Amino acid sequence: MVFAHGFGCDQNMWRFVAPAFEDEYKVVLFDYVGSGKSDLMAYDAQRYATLDGYAQDLLDVVHALDLKDVVLVAHSVSSMVAVLAANQEPGRFERLVLIGPSPRYVNDEGYVGGFERADIDGLLEMMDRNYIGWASFLAPAIVKNPGRPELGQELTESFCSTDPVVARRFAEATFLSDNRADVPRVTVPALLLQCSEDMVAPLEVGEYLHREMPGSTLRVMKATGHCPHLSHPEETIELMREYLQPAHAG
Amino acid sequence: MSEAGALPGRAIDPLLDHAPVGFLSFADDGTITAANATLAAMLGHAPGELEGRRLEAVLSLGARIFYQTHFFPLVRMHGRAEEVFLVLRAADGGNVNVLCNVARVERGGAWANDCVFMEVKERAKFENKLLLARQEADRARMEVQEHAEELRATNEQLEQQAVELELQQQQLQEAATELETQAEYLQATNDELFVRTLELDRQRAAADDANRAKSAFLAVMSHELRTPLNAIGGYVQLMEMGIHGPVTSEQREALDRVARSQKHLLRLINDVLELARIESGRVDFVLETVDLAGLMADVTPMVEPQMDAKELVFTVRVAPGRAARADREKLQQIVINLLSNALKFTPPGGTVSVGLARRTGEPEMLLLSVADSGIGIPPEKQAQVFEPFVQVDMSRTRRSEGSGLGLAISRDLARGMGGDLTVQSEVGKGSTFTLWLPAADEDAGETRRVKA
Repeated sequence: MVFAHGFGCDQNMWRFVAPAFEDEYKVVLFDYVGSGKSDLMAYDAQRYATLDGYAQDLLDVVHALDLKDVVLVAHSVSSMVAVLAANQEPGRFERLVLIGPSPRYVNDEGYVGGFERADIDGLLEMMDRNYIGWASFLAPAIVKNPGRPELGQELTESFCSTDPVVARRFAEATFLSDNRADVPRVTVPALLLQCSEDMVAPLEVGEYLHREMPGSTLRVMKATGHCPHLSHPEETIELMREYLQPAHAG
Repeated sequence: MSEAGALPGRAIDPLLDHAPVGFLSFADDGTITAANATLAAMLGHAPGELEGRRLEAVLSLGARIFYQTHFFPLVRMHGRAEEVFLVLRAADGGNVNVLCNVARVERGGAWANDCVFMEVKERAKFENKLLLARQEADRARMEVQEHAEELRATNEQLEQQAVELELQQQQLQEAATELETQAEYLQATNDELFVRTLELDRQRAAADDANRAKSAFLAVMSHELRTPLNAIGGYVQLMEMGIHGPVTSEQREALDRVARSQKHLLRLINDVLELARIESGRVDFVLETVDLAGLMADVTPMVEPQMDAKELVFTVRVAPGRAARADREKLQQIVINLLSNALKFTPPGGTVSVGLARRTGEPEMLLLSVADSGIGIPPEKQAQVFEPFVQVDMSRTRRSEGSGLGLAISRDLARGMGGDLTVQSEVGKGSTFTLWLPAADEDAGETRRVKA
């Protein structure tokens, strides 16, 4: 089971969900180049100008570990990265679990993405402004996890440690992308986890994907927001298990 | 946190309600659980209006994404965040720029995310300047990178060109080397040719020397041989005259044979001597105008008796008035030689005729021909008849008693006078020898100059 993190974070965002599958699966976590503890020297502006570069990162991981029958769990923008990777090498993947997916964030004629171009520009500007005080984001912190003592004090690394320039480009590649044409070509069965009241990926987008993606299953979660694996890990795990159980048992 | 509120039902400390900073607390599901009056005023809401609504209600669209992708994960994972810039949305839809500090705390068995918001106005101007400066710097850096890229590309092109030029230079170098090699080869060939030419010159000089030595030797030897032969001839004559006593008929026959042999040998030696003298260039030609009809009139009586004896039809057709520039004596010698040959090689009853002709377009030469109806000469042997010591049929040499030098001497003499001697012949039909002579009569036009 491979977990692909979304925009703005790194593999640590799976820490509430991934451990639940460790008994049954070989769990693989990774950071895209430019995120987390990846080697920044490997960053190539050309390669990562579109999501194809990130799809290649994902396939590189799959090849390096020679993974087969992969259950690919992808969040947010990674959902489309997963779609691209699965279309490129369908034989490698058994199931896709796409959390808060969206093929296009900007509204188009006859399509509701949730945003206008101006909104995305606002986001980019906000990111610019926050990089002024970026140091505080990167500062190592001891995480207090009263509810989860097992994660406890040992984790002293910062989260969401993303290079500002890379993050800015990632944001452009993500929010200005349009992968609607890739969706109908998906042959790997997929679970679409749609949060209620997710304003990054509204319900219309989830319904659109379910309609366009062959063999997809849409589950609308009780969880609100865009990061159910952070805010509602239990529900996320439960829905995943429910979906994977028959396939895995068979 | 106090449970007391400024308004009924509001879970907010009155002290906090009017603090000079916006305060808001939200649950993990995004529901606003508390907001102070300062924040409500900042956003144009009535106090208590925000509680129970979703956080997205106070965020601009861009901030909503930022909240979902950065802000919330950060707070959820770190437990706090500081100096986060957010664009809030006011009740009238306008933007309010704020700096936000957040702390995640457990309160009443649930997680609460407490935020304070400080509006930024003046500070935003400085930040704008800073951002602009950074954007400028980024742009400049990009330009520098682009220039660097261009320079690198140009450099690569130049390097490529340099490589190509080097390649061309190498090719030229190779071509030059090749040419040099060829030149050296040609020079070597030239040197070799020069050496060969020198060698040939040396060989030719040596051959000329040898030839001259041979001729001189022959001349001397012939002279030395002639003296004793003359003595033999003289003593034979004395004995035949009976001066040394009576001679029996057997002795006379023997003396005749000695005399014949002596004459043959003497003639042979004379011929050799003459040829040697001609070839060594020691023969002087006395050139004068020779009337050919007159010449034939002198020669005819010398051969007519033998022609008659062999029953040969001998005719001379030389029109009067034709003259050649020649050495009279030597010309006579050539003609007699040709007539002797005709006489020798024509069977009884045959014909021998002398004619004179002049070729059209070549008036400066006279052609005196001696034709016979003799045995003829095969084509492959015709060139050899002028070589010394050669007779076409060696078996006949003995019978004809010739030295084999007659035609060689005749041609050398003809050439010595500026003429030539050629032959046309057909086996079984006869031969025609043609003597080419420079004309000296009035039809000859400009008299041809003859080297002596």
